[in-house]
Amino acid sequence: MTRFTKWFTAIGWRHLVGVCALVFALFPVLFIISSSLNAAGTLSGSGLLPSEFSLINYTELLNGTEAPFLAWLKNTLYVAGGAALANTALASFASYAFSRMRFAGRRAGLLSILLIQMFPTTLLFVAMFVFVSDIGSVFPSLGLGSRMMLLIIYLGGALGVNTWLIKGYFDTIPRDLDESALIDGASHAQIFFRVILPLAAPILAVVALITFVFTLNEFLVASAVLGQGDPEQYTLAIGMFRFIDGQGGEWGQFAAGSVMAGIPVVVLFLFLQKYIVSGLTAGAVKG
Amino acid sequence: MSQHDVDEPVDSVDPGSNSSDVPMRPANRSGALLGLSIGLITKIVLLGTLNATSIWALGRLIPEGVWLGVVFVVVATVAIDVIYLSRARWSIAVKYLLPGTLLLLAFQLYPVMYTAYISSTNLGTGNILDKEAATEQVIATSIGSTESDVSFTSRAATNADGTLGLILTDDRTDPPTILLGTEDGTVEANDIVFDGDRVESADGFTALTLGDLADLESDFAELEVPTDEGIIRLATLNRANLVGYRLQFDPAVDAITDVETGVVYRPVDGFYQADDGTRLNPGWEVSVGFENYRRVFASEAIRGPFLRVFVWNWVFAVGTVVFSFAVGMLLAITLDHPDLRGKRIYRSLLIFPYALPSFLTVLVWQGMMNRRFGIINDLLGADIPWLTDPWMARASVLLVSTWLSFPYFFLVCTGALQSIPKELTEAANVDGANGRQAFRAVTFPLLLVAVAPLLISSFAFNFNNFNVIYFLNRGGPPIAGSQTPAGSTDILVSYTFRLAFESGRGQDLGFATAISILIFVHVALFSAWGFRKTARLEEI
Repeated sequence: MTRFTKWFTAIGWRHLVGVCALVFALFPVLFIISSSLNAAGTLSGSGLLPSEFSLINYTELLNGTEAPFLAWLKNTLYVAGGAALANTALASFASYAFSRMRFAGRRAGLLSILLIQMFPTTLLFVAMFVFVSDIGSVFPSLGLGSRMMLLIIYLGGALGVNTWLIKGYFDTIPRDLDESALIDGASHAQIFFRVILPLAAPILAVVALITFVFTLNEFLVASAVLGQGDPEQYTLAIGMFRFIDGQGGEWGQFAAGSVMAGIPVVVLFLFLQKYIVSGLTAGAVKG
Repeated sequence: MSQHDVDEPVDSVDPGSNSSDVPMRPANRSGALLGLSIGLITKIVLLGTLNATSIWALGRLIPEGVWLGVVFVVVATVAIDVIYLSRARWSIAVKYLLPGTLLLLAFQLYPVMYTAYISSTNLGTGNILDKEAATEQVIATSIGSTESDVSFTSRAATNADGTLGLILTDDRTDPPTILLGTEDGTVEANDIVFDGDRVESADGFTALTLGDLADLESDFAELEVPTDEGIIRLATLNRANLVGYRLQFDPAVDAITDVETGVVYRPVDGFYQADDGTRLNPGWEVSVGFENYRRVFASEAIRGPFLRVFVWNWVFAVGTVVFSFAVGMLLAITLDHPDLRGKRIYRSLLIFPYALPSFLTVLVWQGMMNRRFGIINDLLGADIPWLTDPWMARASVLLVSTWLSFPYFFLVCTGALQSIPKELTEAANVDGANGRQAFRAVTFPLLLVAVAPLLISSFAFNFNNFNVIYFLNRGGPPIAGSQTPAGSTDILVSYTFRLAFESGRGQDLGFATAISILIFVHVALFSAWGFRKTARLEEI
């Protein structure tokens, strides 16, 4: 056996498999980056490498003649960012009570949260459509087409999987810390804000990121609430879908928009990768 | 009741209660006092804003008679005030739970019940109004069919605001009544100025000269003055005719009669319906009991496609979990070798499909799989109907959903593999097992135990994974001959969406929510089984 075959049977084939997996995983990513930099701008003209390198897709998309991309981006950041922050805050409040306090109905509360998770918000889109149009007849600014209403709807899911994840993490923070703070005269609020929350920063970041990505991807409720109104009010998911679906004419601009919307999320994921894996396994398994 | 409970404060300092009588340790005094006052100010500002908003909201809700909304606002506001101002020990846990719980009730629990309610109605296009409004609209749209012989001497007039009006002389009474008609209806005029026997002005409306009238002629041609008997329209420059409603509603027998033909329309299933089955539009929202559920199973044209959607939904969810778990696990095992270099690079790059927003990547796949222009057929030099042939479309959906999920299982399995003690596989090797046997007997079972709950939650997620189905191919290609909009790759949730918002017959919200409820029942049964299996609840 030569040194190469020996290396190959032990290690080399693993690289071969790994590279194949990378090609599978990254092919669409490379294709879309290439399309976004291709002056041709159409689906049929897009290949693995740009035929003519240009940034025209980016400038045209940002000029907003074909689609109000910046408005969609702003709406998405408002709804998804707001939902991520508020949901994480609400879920961590509830988790603190569930993790650190003993009260009547605690177990029932935790179980109810699990139970109600079987009716995900996304599946309630028909009722939300009618509900929001009802609300709009009393409070016009919160009716169909209201981004703030969409954000508020997403807050209904704060007590859910997120609460279980955060509670699981709080449970691993030693209670000795609470007790010593208590002896120093700290109140329950001070213990929560100054002792528990800083120590739980990793799981809070993960929960915020997961909520952000979930909200970013959410289409059903978003299109029920915003989909019949002015295109300026769309989120990215509604806007990009209606922009490209079935046509492929403005493929280059769609690609440019995808790259701009996707990169920040990937960077966040890579940054939090370590916590995401441990958060998902530990939290989801242990409850 | 453990001794660790923090809600047994030694020195109880509730930051919200401005209580200088609560003893504090001197060492902490200044900091705590500062926190206390900031906490108190924040609390007063927040509660004040909330109460003001609630009162404003009640001011809108009460005149509209939305009593459920009134009850919710009052109960929620009072509860919040009481809980956050309370210093009782029992209120501490509630302080942390209340905001999330109220939102849960309003935007999760209520919509669930609302979904169940809508599924028992015929709500949808053509049945969106209540009965009173529908009756009014049916009558109001039946105008212009019959000319009555009633007519009025009329003068076209405008007031200072430019509002159009008709000054009508009703000769049916003696002396004649002078009426002022606008698009809001007629009123008997009081302040009348005559010029001979012609009326010059009434109630601020002044008759137009012929010249002025010429400019406004087309506006007056469109003016319709509604009355109980019909509408009044200008026929010539100085005469207006009463045009009767063809349909008349008789509240005593709750029926609509066509005065021309004598046909009687009675309310049946949310429509006024004649004996020969002719319906008047629009209809109104009525309860139909379990009719929507019965339709799913009773009608062959609906049941057939529904069952295909249902079976495919299972195949899709199970297939996605199995394929992505298999690919992810095999990759994790392959790349989990102590001497392998570049592990971190692999891990960072393989996360991309999972990290990128799926609505974007699925749309990218849609473009790549385009039969004529897509890059896949282009590179292969082939003409594969990735998305247009039913079976190819199903395979494509599975390919894309596997692409989306395998990185998740790769990451999870990588983590789980590292937590399996190396001694176990070494012991198996010492006992004479080769690598494959050690994997099958030791590593794989342990791995499966670790990820089993994730497999179940991944199934539950993929069972309703709308984005893959809808963004890749809109659930298509369509199933031929289906009465409802069902496609070959539709799953229940995308089918529901199309019923609700994309059906050619308009929105069919009642039927769509019935399907939603069937999904709920299904997922609930499955999850209950899954939780029991994984004994997730033991450690609460």
